[in-house]
Amino acid sequence: MRLRSLRKWLPSRPDLRVFVGYCLAAAIYIAIGVTVTDFLYSFWVGVAYVVVAAWAVPMLVRRLE
Amino acid sequence: MSWAAHDLEPYAFQKHLNLKVAFVPLLIGSYAPDMMTKWFVYGIHIGPWDLRATDPAQFHRGWPGFGFTHSFIYGTAIGLIIWKVFDSKLWGVSFIIGQFAHAITDTGDTVGTMLLFPWTYHFRIGAWAYAGQTGRTTDAAAYFSGLGCMWDLVWIVYGFYAWRVVTGAYFDGVIYRADAFWPWLNRWVPRGALLALYRAAFFYGTSRWIAWTVWAHVIHHYPYDLSWGGPHWVHAAHP
Repeated sequence: MRLRSLRKWLPSRPDLRVFVGYCLAAAIYIAIGVTVTDFLYSFWVGVAYVVVAAWAVPMLVRRLE
Repeated sequence: MSWAAHDLEPYAFQKHLNLKVAFVPLLIGSYAPDMMTKWFVYGIHIGPWDLRATDPAQFHRGWPGFGFTHSFIYGTAIGLIIWKVFDSKLWGVSFIIGQFAHAITDTGDTVGTMLLFPWTYHFRIGAWAYAGQTGRTTDAAAYFSGLGCMWDLVWIVYGFYAWRVVTGAYFDGVIYRADAFWPWLNRWVPRGALLALYRAAFFYGTSRWIAWTVWAHVIHHYPYDLSWGGPHWVHAAHP
């Protein structure tokens, strides 16, 4: 019973795939930000970055496949 | 001031309030107190001009100054204007919740906020040093060396605990349905981009927290000082 409720709480495989994608995007964002700290100050740069990295790039890759 | 809490608090409220709030005004409310002031606290260069407050802490949190932006009366007034202009109680109330959260969170530092403005008393817990007057680089180093960054970490951990709030299913079932803004934007922007936009503040807050921590303690070796009111190697401002 407890195992079943734990499994319900844990993320599914597709959830994890999305999470890994965001982690990769975050790793690049952090690497750029640590090198050029100006990159970290702007919320709008962050928004633009996440839209490009988490939506535009995967969409382009899917279209090219 | 806080560096990541204001990005992450809206997701925590979203988890508990579900359809009772709209995420966009909640987030705008969470950023609102600093929107008009932060650039002048740190200063900017425009051509030959350097624009900066002579007393950044007073300008940011005090009176005379823009400290009223961190008060309940300011959040309520702007929330009521939003309610009236957009004819949306949901937007008005969501803005107020976000703005109140920001104003209360900022009582954690040594300057605090005038929560009950026009009463100019600064409510403050004094857990971490307010160092905005030292410039944005030293402020970042100080913030990410004291209890302020630990307070941000609480929100990050809570955000991961509430991870379902950032899933596509939650976005479709709650966020999109709760607020007409998303279907309106969906006329021009595809669903995948909307989802990325919805997750942006969570991504920004968490990634920035990690980046500043790495910058302050791996690249530059600023010392951690998690004592109350620290770090004490920086001059903390007081009201």
